[in-house]
Amino acid sequence: MLPEFASVVPETKEKALTLLSSLDNVKVFAGGTDLLVKMRRGESCSNIIDITQISDLQVISGQGGLIAIGAASTHKAISTHTIIKSQASSLATACGWVGSPAIRNMGTIGGNLVNASPAADSLAPLLIHDAEVLLESKDGMRRMKVEDFILAPYKTAIDARELLTLIQIEGLTGYREGYKRVTKRARWAISRLSIAWAIKEEDGLYKDVKLAIGSCTPMPFRPRGIEKSLQGKVKSDETIQMAIEGILEEIKRISGVRPSFIYKIPVVKDLLLEILRG
Amino acid sequence: MKKVDFTLNGKSTTIEVEDNETLLQALRERLNIKSVKEGCSIGECGACTVLIDNEPHYACLTIASKVTGHDVKTVEFLGDENLLHPLQEAFIEYGAVQCGYCTPGMLLTAYSLLLRDQNPTDTDIKEAISGNLCRCTGYIQIVEAIRNAAGICKCSS
Repeated sequence: MLPEFASVVPETKEKALTLLSSLDNVKVFAGGTDLLVKMRRGESCSNIIDITQISDLQVISGQGGLIAIGAASTHKAISTHTIIKSQASSLATACGWVGSPAIRNMGTIGGNLVNASPAADSLAPLLIHDAEVLLESKDGMRRMKVEDFILAPYKTAIDARELLTLIQIEGLTGYREGYKRVTKRARWAISRLSIAWAIKEEDGLYKDVKLAIGSCTPMPFRPRGIEKSLQGKVKSDETIQMAIEGILEEIKRISGVRPSFIYKIPVVKDLLLEILRG
Repeated sequence: MKKVDFTLNGKSTTIEVEDNETLLQALRERLNIKSVKEGCSIGECGACTVLIDNEPHYACLTIASKVTGHDVKTVEFLGDENLLHPLQEAFIEYGAVQCGYCTPGMLLTAYSLLLRDQNPTDTDIKEAISGNLCRCTGYIQIVEAIRNAAGICKCSS
C-alpha cells in the first residue's frame, strides 16, 4: 500500500506551476518509477502533482543546433526520436538502456535528473552535450547547467516550488559519438561504470574530444582539462596513453582511492583506449 | 475519490479510485481482475505488467487515476478458456508456463512486441521481455514460444 496522499493531474504547465506554488508538502510525479518506490519504503508527502499528462512537456524539437527535450519525455520517446538519434546518439543509446521496456515507457528524463542518481544513464550523455535545465515557477524561471543542477548524489538545486520543464542540449554533427556501460548483467541493470563520448577527428588529428564518465565518481564528470589538451594533437597511442593517465588521476583526485577501483580503474582504462582509438 | 473513465480490454469502464490507489489495486480489488499479479511492488519483476495504449507498464507503479482516457489491456484481452490466443497456445506447447505467476505479464509483453514487430529476432524477444522475470523456466521455453507464435499469428490491435 502507498501512504495516503492527494493527487492532481493537471493538463497544462501553468496549472502545474500554480498547484506547486499553492500546495504544501508536495512531490512531482514524472513517471513514478523512483518516487513510488521511495514512498513504498516510507517516504511520504501530502500531495502529488502528476505532470505526465501535460503534452507540452513531452515535446522534443530541434532548432539552430539546439535540441529542446520536454522534461516529461519518456526514455522510450527519447531513445527512438529521430533528432536525438542523429544529433545526440549517445543519449538515445543511454535512454534505450535505462531499466526495462516498461520502465522506459514510464520513466522520464526530468524524473531521472531530479532523482539525481550518480548511476543515471542519461547523465554522461547530457554532459557531453552541455545540457542545461530550465526550472520554472509561478514567479519566474532560471536556467542552469546540469553540472551545477546536481549538487550531490540524489540532491539537486531545485526549489520545492519549481518544476523542471525542459532540458536543452547542443546537437552534435560530424562527431563519432557513443555510450558504453558496464553492468552486472546485459539488461535490466544499473550502470557500474559508463562513458559517453563525442569525438571529431580530421587528418589524423583530434579536433574536438568530449568525454563524460559516469558511475565512477559521486557525480558523472567531464575531464575538461584533458579534453582541451587533446585538441589538435596527433591521434597516436602515445597521446591516448597520456590522456588516459590524466583522466585516471582526475578520478582519484575527485573520489580518493575507493575499494571498487581495483576493478573499475583497469576497466575505465580499457574503455577509454577503445573509445579514443575509435 | 476520483472517477476514472478508461477502456479496459476493449470495453468502456468507469470506476472510482482513491488518490493513492495503484492501477494494480484498482484492477484486482475493484474490477476483480486477478490475472494482474503483485510481485515485488517496486517495478522490478513485471508480474503486474499491463498494456497501456499497447505498451507494457508496471501497474504497481501506476497511479490508477492517470489511466483516464487511455486504453488498458490485461491478459483477458488475449483469450479465454474456450479460445486461447496463439501466444497462449504456444506458451503451453513449449512449456513456457510453470508456476504461472509471471505468465500474464509475459504474454502481454510478448503481445505488445508482436504488435509492432511481426518477425522479431531472438535478441528482440529477449530485449522485450527483459523487464519480466521468470524464476521457473530459465526463459528458453518462453523465447521459443514467442518466436513460434510470431510465425503463426499476425497480431493486430
